[in-house]
Amino acid sequence: MKKLWLLMMMLVLALVVAACGGGEDDASTEEGEEPVETSDSRTLTVAYGTDIVSFDIHDHNTTSTEAVHVNMFNYLLTNQGEDGFQPDLAESWENIDDNTWRFQLREGVTFHNGEELTADDVKFTLERVAQDETLLEHGNYNQIESVNVLSDYEFEIVTVNPEPAMLNRLSRLGSGILPQEYIETEGWEVFLEQPVGTGPYQFKEWQRDDRLTLEAYPEYFGGEPEWDELVFRSIPEDSTRVSELLTGGVDVAVNIPPTDVARIDNTDGVSTVQSPTQRVMMLVLRTDDDSVTGDPRVREAIDLAIDKQAMVDSLLEGAGTVTRTRVTPGNVGANEDLYEQTLYDPERARELLEEAGYGDGLELTLTGPNGRYLKDRETVELISAMLSEVGITVNQELIEWSAFSQRYQERGFAEMFYIGYGNSMFDASLALDRLTAEGAAGESDYDNAEVNELLIAAEQNMDPEEREQQLQRAQELIAEDRPQIYMFQLDAITGINDRINFEPQLNEMFYADSVTLN
Amino acid sequence: MKYMGQSLLKTIPVLLLITLIVFLLVRVTGDPVSLMLPETATEQERESLREAMGFNEPLAIQYFTYLSDLVRGDFGDSFRYNTDALTLVLDRLPATFELAIASMIIAVIISVPLGILSAVKRNSFFDLFITGGAVLGKAMPNFWLGIMLILLLSVTFQVFPVSGRGGLGHLVLPAITLGTGIAAEMTRLIRSSMLEILGQDFIRTARSKGLGEAIIVNKHAFRNALIPVVTIMALQTSTLVGGTLITETVFAWPGLGQLLVQSVNIRDMAVVQAATFIIAIFVILSNLIADLIYRFLDPRIKYD
Amino acid sequence: MAQVTENAAPQKAASQSSFKKLAKRLLRSKTGMLGLIIVVFVTLMAIFAPLLAQHDPAQTNVVDRLLPPFWSEGGNTEFLLGTDNLGRDILSRIIYGSRISLMIGISAVLLAGAIGMVLGLIAGYYGKVLDFIIMRTVDSLLAIPNILFMLIILAVFGPSLLTLILVLGGTTWVVYARMVRSETLSIKERDYVRSAKAIGAKDFRIITKYILPNVLSSFIVIATLNVATTIILEASLSFLGLGIQPPDVSWGLMLSDGRQYIATSWWVATFPGIAITITVLGVIFLGDWLRDVLDPKIKE
Repeated sequence: MKKLWLLMMMLVLALVVAACGGGEDDASTEEGEEPVETSDSRTLTVAYGTDIVSFDIHDHNTTSTEAVHVNMFNYLLTNQGEDGFQPDLAESWENIDDNTWRFQLREGVTFHNGEELTADDVKFTLERVAQDETLLEHGNYNQIESVNVLSDYEFEIVTVNPEPAMLNRLSRLGSGILPQEYIETEGWEVFLEQPVGTGPYQFKEWQRDDRLTLEAYPEYFGGEPEWDELVFRSIPEDSTRVSELLTGGVDVAVNIPPTDVARIDNTDGVSTVQSPTQRVMMLVLRTDDDSVTGDPRVREAIDLAIDKQAMVDSLLEGAGTVTRTRVTPGNVGANEDLYEQTLYDPERARELLEEAGYGDGLELTLTGPNGRYLKDRETVELISAMLSEVGITVNQELIEWSAFSQRYQERGFAEMFYIGYGNSMFDASLALDRLTAEGAAGESDYDNAEVNELLIAAEQNMDPEEREQQLQRAQELIAEDRPQIYMFQLDAITGINDRINFEPQLNEMFYADSVTLN
Repeated sequence: MKYMGQSLLKTIPVLLLITLIVFLLVRVTGDPVSLMLPETATEQERESLREAMGFNEPLAIQYFTYLSDLVRGDFGDSFRYNTDALTLVLDRLPATFELAIASMIIAVIISVPLGILSAVKRNSFFDLFITGGAVLGKAMPNFWLGIMLILLLSVTFQVFPVSGRGGLGHLVLPAITLGTGIAAEMTRLIRSSMLEILGQDFIRTARSKGLGEAIIVNKHAFRNALIPVVTIMALQTSTLVGGTLITETVFAWPGLGQLLVQSVNIRDMAVVQAATFIIAIFVILSNLIADLIYRFLDPRIKYD
Repeated sequence: MAQVTENAAPQKAASQSSFKKLAKRLLRSKTGMLGLIIVVFVTLMAIFAPLLAQHDPAQTNVVDRLLPPFWSEGGNTEFLLGTDNLGRDILSRIIYGSRISLMIGISAVLLAGAIGMVLGLIAGYYGKVLDFIIMRTVDSLLAIPNILFMLIILAVFGPSLLTLILVLGGTTWVVYARMVRSETLSIKERDYVRSAKAIGAKDFRIITKYILPNVLSSFIVIATLNVATTIILEASLSFLGLGIQPPDVSWGLMLSDGRQYIATSWWVATFPGIAITITVLGVIFLGDWLRDVLDPKIKE
């Protein structure tokens, strides 16, 4: 018997020793196992919850994928919010008539394969997404009628209708400029395996569901890149991502659960940063007469029964901001009077239900996705609990994302559903497009003639000031009518290693070059 | 040889059935078209894609098209990655293999000595302790054990890296996580097969000859107890592969399990089909091999 | 499925020992006794949940969220085992959760057992084409890992109590079918079955009178052990987001939800974890004891 024990112990010991040795080897080469405050490695490792979807910048609609792409591709211009639009690949631009925009391209920009950037690349890129209906971003670019090349460095974009948000469209997901010659000679398959852009970092290696490695592109037109190498790791399990941050395995970890914020901040060498995002969580309600929520008093009662501030304070541990509009500051046309505002009055909610003839209570169904947004399931559970306090019985229906998005596309929800809309356009008009009579049909069925008129006018109004007023007025009306009841704007919580400086962006992009070593 | 031929022949209808099951599973998953097109797509665009993908044909015809594609190794394209599904799956196999084999090794290291010991010291406190431990190992869901191991051995004591695939160090925690459940099951089975053998005639004869207990256990019982262990290991293959779905997600291990979970989540059904089929072949093969080894080891079973 | 190999050998007509003998042996087996006590306790807890629970398991209270158990600093006796992230009483949720966890465990096993028993008897007794079809189906299902199968089906039909039970039952029956078939094969060659056939007894009568009772003992052992497996499987499905959905509550769901709080509020996941472990322990001890009693090969 003793022999057996001995054998077993030896085997286990051997395994442990071997494993430790292996662990150390790795640490020095790829991850930095040692506590990170001492590390000055010029490799920046970032942990996301999902892998990038694809290198086809036009055929995805995932913010986290775009956040990685911005390090490899450049837009014509960038949207800096309050500071307006800033040149990137384009040096200057002007709006020559309602439907035409003329751009001057920066000279001497090269793609990672050495090819030079010209106006033909811009035409190739934008016309592809504007014309190919099977691409996921097509709907955000089909306003482009054509791109006319005037010279190697000059071109015009012609839109179908007057398009006040044209620049917003050109500075977001899918706006990266692609190398025409490379793609046309090598084909898309090759491009997707060996993508080429103009950005500060070029493709090195992609192990799907594990890591994407980019390396510095020394000829970058914006100067020497900050890092030698970028590693984007995909770590789906939240607690694993946090653990990687805590052990120095990664320099940046996105989507930190609010619960872990204190724990991270109390650990030497790591900390968290919180910053608002464009995502506003909301309930969308049916307003047609056949639904119980068709009665505006019922909708108001639902709004008043939910203590959004309490949800932000507890569930999100403060990582959010209450709001009565979906258009938050930083967006064109935001109505800031409605921001940081919330209504909560369960007494009044009960009265309203009484007035509406539901004194004995009413029943409705609330559908929400499970595992898509931060604390989505818990929020739905909490909303249901709060509504039951005022006498509304909620049938909770929690479904996983694919099933949810299919129902969403079919517009097949019952009285209410819970969803979070982002807004990469930074423009109110597009944020509210599901509240025009046409956009709302079958979903909330919201149909307020004045709102409809305001929104449609704003869509093509080329007078910025008047347009802004139209949009702000529409938000006021929507806040009163409540086809959507806004819960809160989500904050992004990012964990960072103290060896670096990191400023989170409102658009949730990850610009590696803005991250510096301490 | 004849037996092997028969076994192989038997797997043909099984493989056919698996293709049918996989095909049906995927076809009932609803309309893949709505996930492949932007939400702004019109009903007409959806319809034309449906037509192009052959979703409008009768089910039987779709199945035969599917089968004939499959014979040519064509499982269709992943719509998430826009590449051949089979290639994606085969790319992931090494990572999962590595994890599975390491888990099996850990399971054997733990279960063989413990199973034998608890059989020999049957009904002792030690036996109770091991039986209890085995139940604990079985009762602990993989995800739970994985997270606990990370917190303890990676965060608190910083012995092993947290996640990802790399050197041997990266392998230890996921392999323990996946191996523990299997070890628990095997410990229990080895114990009972040992008990069975210890009660058999040839052991009694050995005892009556006055051989020491240690020799009996080592020489006679242990060898014979190993025979069923081989079968048990093969039978655990399916459980093992199933366990990778969760273990790989917890440890961000870039293998087949994670690929499957994510593909199911976004309904990338070509990948799900290809992966399921490959897994099934793998499980069938390992059972077949175990069967042969079993027959080879145990002369009592004749080739018929 | 591993148990199959052990029980594959032919068995004598078991369970002839009288009830008294059984009880005596149970008393002698420490683990068997412990298992029985645990199982009875958990079952009673599930039945009398409304009487035992101090709080409504769905009652949220954001002020009192994440309170530790009463013996820790900051805890109080109103919430004996503390509260979860929505301020719900963990003890009450465990008590109510036992209902769904047990219901899933038992119903799925009954369903799987029934399908497996019937198909196993048919395959073993009639043989030939039926046997071939059934056993090849069994082989194909065995080649696809359970959890993968469930993942796909639940993703499609959406997880609910009913679909969970159907899926768990519909995929695990193969184990029983295999075992029942191999036992039937050996039993039907026995003299008393042959003589019954010779005097012209109907198939149905032979199956129910002679074969079924002899298969039953192995069947019960496997079924018992599978209750444990099912409870754990449900927890794993919760981890993948496809287990029980709120407002229903199961131990698996609590454990899976609680994993976010392991490092900060240990009690949220630890207590449901303990509940699962103890129950599984009880069930397995009981199952092992049943095997020792019913399986003649390992007699003491």
